[in-house]
This record gives sequence, C-alpha cells and structure tokens, in this order.
Amino acid sequence: MDRHHLAVVDAAQGRLDPAAAIDFVSDPAFGGIDVFIGRVRDLNHGRKVVGISYDLFDALALNGFAQIAARAQAEFGPRLKLYIAHAKGRLAVGDLAVVIAAGTPHRDEAFRACRMVIEAVKHESPIWKQEHYVDGDSIWSEGCSLCGDAADGHAAPHAHDGHAH
Amino acid sequence: MKIEISLFGALRECEPDARLQLELADDSGVAGLRAALAAHAQSQWPAPRAGLLGKCALADERSILRDGDALPVDGRVAVLPPVSGG
Repeated sequence: MDRHHLAVVDAAQGRLDPAAAIDFVSDPAFGGIDVFIGRVRDLNHGRKVVGISYDLFDALALNGFAQIAARAQAEFGPRLKLYIAHAKGRLAVGDLAVVIAAGTPHRDEAFRACRMVIEAVKHESPIWKQEHYVDGDSIWSEGCSLCGDAADGHAAPHAHDGHAH
Repeated sequence: MKIEISLFGALRECEPDARLQLELADDSGVAGLRAALAAHAQSQWPAPRAGLLGKCALADERSILRDGDALPVDGRVAVLPPVSGG
C-alpha cells in the first residue's frame, strides 16, 4: 500500500478532512501521529480578511508533494506515513487550507516529519493565495521565489517584506 | 517552436485565460524564453506585473526549469510567481 496520500482538493468539489488524514497515517505499530491544520484567519497585517482564493499548478504541486514526501521518508525512515492535502479555489474564514499528517512509531519523528513537510509545502509548492478584504479589495500575497535555493529543497526559515516564516 | 505559456497567481490577469503563445527558435533554451517573455511583458503588461517577472521561476509539470535548460519538448511552460501556500 502506498504510504503517502497526496492531494489537491478543489473547494468546489469538497473539503479537507483531518479525520481522513489521521485514519490514513494510522497503523497498529504507530504510537505517534502529528497533524498540522492550516486555516483561513480573519486578519492579516491589520486588514480584515473575509476569504482567500488559492491558485495551484496542480501537476507540479503533486510532483513536488511526492518529492517532499520522499525526502521526509529518507530522513525519518521507510515506515513513515504521510498525508499531504492542499485546498484550491475560494475559501472563507475558518475553512481549512492545508492538512498535513505524519504517522510514526514514536512522537518525536511524527512532530519533526510534520514540521518538515509543512515548511517545505509552504516554501516550495506552486501555490498562490489572494486575500479578499472586507472593503472589497483583494491582494495576492508576497511569497518565496522559486528561482533560488528554495526550489532546490533547501529552504530555511526566513523573512520577506512584512512577514516571516 | 511555439511555446504555450501558462500564468499563475498575480500574473493570471495579464493575459486572456492566463495563457499566451510565443514563437521562439528551437535552440532558444529557457534563457531565451525568459528574455522573450520579459520583452512581451514590458510592452503588454502593467509595470508592476512586468516587474514581477524577475522574481518568477519557469517550470514544466515535473520541475523548475533553469536558464541553461533546453525548452520542454512539448512546448508547455508555466510562469511561477513567488509562492505563498499554506
């Protein structure tokens, strides 16, 4: 059975499901499961947000998810099970944008694998978000350029204009 | 060869259906495509969007394309602005 579930979920077709993620990475031999859930929040840089539209290059995103999963497996071992799903389309405040789950025999690997995967997804995946504000304005978020090292899979925590991650 | 270019994120609105075609010599390579795209953007796109091109990566469905790479044989290239997922 494949140990990685990789998905892009169109908001018009369905919602991300953390319970499905936990179920997928569960295993009788696993004592640790870590889940990261990214949600749309109602405030950014002091502006009231009413929603976010996510744009994805689906094919490259899914290939990238597979490469990220392979790196995680190389680091945390072949037993690691991963669930990586990102939403696409228009989301409202509170909707789920991304769900990552990692299942391993022990909690330390689960925490670290989950953190590694979400950071890689954020910094490397061809995903763009456009924030919609209560005043009717919309702005595409600044992000990480894929022209440099980040695209080679060596992204580290860093800062951009106005935000850090 | 004809290159079919797909635009994403903030560049989507620069072209109808977020797509454009450019005709390039077969041996242009990715660097040649980037130069042709920049020239097109400077003449056709609003200045802020054209300026964003310098921060954009080019890619096919499998990977990021580097300036020294050949153009994809299927002629399909995506322009990727800085990413902001999650």
